[in-house]
Amino acid sequence: MKKKSLLLMLTLLLVLSAFLAACSSGDSADEPADTEPTEEGNTDDAEGDTEGDAGEAQSGGTLTYGVDAPPEGLFNWAFYGIATDADIIALFDEGLIEYDENLAPQPNLASWETEDNKTYTFTFEQGVMWHDGVELTVNDWVFALETIADPDYDGPRYANVQTIEGAPAYRAGEADSISGLNVIDDYTIEVTFDEARINNLVNVWAYPMNRAQFEGIPVAEMSASEQVRTKPVGLGPFKVDSITPGEAVIMTKFEDYWKGEPKLDGINVQVIDNTTTVGALGNGDIDMISLQPVNGPEVEELENVEIVTYPGLSYYYIGFKLGTFNAETNEIVEDKEKYADVNLRKAMAHAIDRQSWIDAFFFGYGSPVNGPVPSNHWIAADPEELATYEYDPAKAEELLAEAGYEDVNGDGFVEDPNGEEFVAKFSHYATGNPTFETRAQAIVQFWQEVGINAELEMAEVNLYYDMIEKDDPSIETFFGGWGTGADPDPTALWGSDQLWNYPRYKNEESDQLLADALDLEVVGDDQEARKDLYVQWQQMVAEDVPMIFIAELEEIVALNERVQGVEYDVSGSNSPHEWSIAQ
Amino acid sequence: MLKYTIRRIIGMIPMLLLISFVVFLLAKAMPGDSLSGEIDPNNTDPQYIEEMRERLGYNDPIPVQYFRWVGGFFQGDFGTSTRYKVPVADLVAERLPNTIFLGVSSLVITYILAFAMGIYAGRKPYTLGDNLIGGLNYLGLAIPSFIAAVFAIYFFSFNLGWIPYSGSVDPTLQPGTFDYWLSRAHHVLMPAIVLGALATASYTQFLRNDIIENSRKDFVRTARAKGTPTSKIYNVHIMRNSIIPLVTFLGFDIATLISGAIITETIFTYPGIGQLFLSSVTNRDYPTLMVITMMLSALTLVGNLIADILYGVVDPRIRLD
Repeated sequence: MKKKSLLLMLTLLLVLSAFLAACSSGDSADEPADTEPTEEGNTDDAEGDTEGDAGEAQSGGTLTYGVDAPPEGLFNWAFYGIATDADIIALFDEGLIEYDENLAPQPNLASWETEDNKTYTFTFEQGVMWHDGVELTVNDWVFALETIADPDYDGPRYANVQTIEGAPAYRAGEADSISGLNVIDDYTIEVTFDEARINNLVNVWAYPMNRAQFEGIPVAEMSASEQVRTKPVGLGPFKVDSITPGEAVIMTKFEDYWKGEPKLDGINVQVIDNTTTVGALGNGDIDMISLQPVNGPEVEELENVEIVTYPGLSYYYIGFKLGTFNAETNEIVEDKEKYADVNLRKAMAHAIDRQSWIDAFFFGYGSPVNGPVPSNHWIAADPEELATYEYDPAKAEELLAEAGYEDVNGDGFVEDPNGEEFVAKFSHYATGNPTFETRAQAIVQFWQEVGINAELEMAEVNLYYDMIEKDDPSIETFFGGWGTGADPDPTALWGSDQLWNYPRYKNEESDQLLADALDLEVVGDDQEARKDLYVQWQQMVAEDVPMIFIAELEEIVALNERVQGVEYDVSGSNSPHEWSIAQ
Repeated sequence: MLKYTIRRIIGMIPMLLLISFVVFLLAKAMPGDSLSGEIDPNNTDPQYIEEMRERLGYNDPIPVQYFRWVGGFFQGDFGTSTRYKVPVADLVAERLPNTIFLGVSSLVITYILAFAMGIYAGRKPYTLGDNLIGGLNYLGLAIPSFIAAVFAIYFFSFNLGWIPYSGSVDPTLQPGTFDYWLSRAHHVLMPAIVLGALATASYTQFLRNDIIENSRKDFVRTARAKGTPTSKIYNVHIMRNSIIPLVTFLGFDIATLISGAIITETIFTYPGIGQLFLSSVTNRDYPTLMVITMMLSALTLVGNLIADILYGVVDPRIRLD
């Protein structure tokens, strides 16, 4: 009996240790969620056809679409949480607006008119059918907006609805409907926002929800309902036949699709583990999948698979903590002295060889970025207009000396201007991915090579962002990534009253530029004027170096050679109804 | 026996309470919470995150949160997954059949292999065959399941194309048909072999050693002297004595059946409890995480009780009182 109780103890220990081990072992995903750009818009073909699309594309065939992370199963635009779910929804549902290759909004299910950027009149396409045979009307959109503004709604989209006049009152329970929504007839609706803004249109929630399907379901129970989880009904080119949770989604073509009958007979979405991606592609079991950079070189060697890359909208940076954020007053004070000297920051930027770092850790699927906007965004400044920090160790050492950082005690590393030991602490998040530590170590070595004594600290990813957000004293310089959406407004990340302004960069001129770029009185409808202001802003940020901009990544997709008609640009892929398979 | 069982079950209550306390504290001690992964300026804003924290009660004092959770548990409310936004009970129920199917299959494979090899090795100890079996077993014990899984996928799925490498069933088939069940068996085969074959070592060696030990005992010598056939001695006299230690394992097997295989399920993208458990930890999905841990702890306790009772059945000399 004694032996048995020992075994019992051991088993309990094992259960606990499995639980602890799992804490550190992270997801198989390469990057934390916050670096995922959201791409909701599809575009009609923009650039020229990619190769292999000569002649008439045949119809028929079923395409197998791989995803390497299990979906959460929230298959509705209003409720989804992760990119995998969004990718799947995009195959069977679509929105009122889509985005072209310049990320400019284009009419899709609806077109719009506005005179003052406050009141918009949307006109819906007539005869657009939901998969259940009911026609789409503006009421479905009103229903979606009211669902999101409902106090019981448990998804993250309220920010896209709150700018509509009367939405806050509806949410607080003071009104029975949203006063800014004025239904004129089944195909026309007038939407009034609380104030005139240049980005009201790109910001507003533009996905209708099928009113008939959700009838009688309280908002609080919607995200658990079968209409969201296993029997979603959309407007897109394919309709969902069956869903095996966590494994597969089977779709067949929707013959009444409003843009015309899809060429494919169907799409099977198959969840696979990323250890099997290369083999599955090689065997032809998977026709199409988004790749992680690490798999790129292996897939490139496969003969039956073609790799397509398109510009992404996310970028990586190394931030300097310049101050602290006061959560009570929502104010930033630049009160941290250690990296206050701009020459020190510039020296640290010149010390990093970004190109070879990207080649080593992202297998070349990326390029150095010089400002806080990925270079393919329409507001991105030309690199020549920006202060850039090329790899130049000699320049870095010169700048350090200029700033008073010199090696006084002869240990090979510089001391700060007061003669004290200077140690730059660099923090990076840790997940299960073993390359994170090496790539962070590489940065530390770049700094050490120019005489800055640097130290690496890896922090568990959840703890990491918590520490950054709370301005933990142990965070000095930190690695991070952000994504940009179609709306270029970077205020949420750069305004001096924003929690997510992680470097705690405070610059009144910058605030002013960002405010002006949204101000109709200043820029009016003129996108060029707006871009000008953003370029000025980027110049200022590049000059001030609150963060070292490291890299922007490409999105990589592997396509089996039999797949035709798939095209990508910065806004994502073309509509799946144009995809086809060579017979 | 009944009295003993009841006493043991009552004894489990404080144990489970203690476990719930530890599980809760450990879960809360993990850095971050279910919302820390949602920092994305395109998708949400700090106000939403703050509101959700308030709504989920993350800002309440720890004791309040603990009693709310335990209170819900007693009323049969296991909470709602913060990630999947469905009741945890539904989530577990959706995956449990997959995991049990995998667990039972792998256990059957383990038992068949272990009994065949253990009996052979026990009857012919120190021969080439015995050493070969011992070597194979320890090799199996030494190979981590994720390595074996990846290699198995490479050879049997990619090179030979015999066996599917992902999912639990061919999703195009109609549930309930014969083909559907065939496809499920086909899908479970490889993960079950990987799990089952690697776990045989302890069973085989225990069985072998016990058979060797028993075969030297007096009652075996007596039986031989009486002229009892060798096969009867091994299959009846020795066997019955030798499975006693294996009964101990059976108790733990019950928990293993449910806990699934975290790594193996993930590599084969087999949607079971193990995969759910892993994702609940990485996403700080506390309700799911705590329910699964509690379930496994309770099952380990119950499994032990069953093992203890079975001792009495297998070996009447052991008295439970």
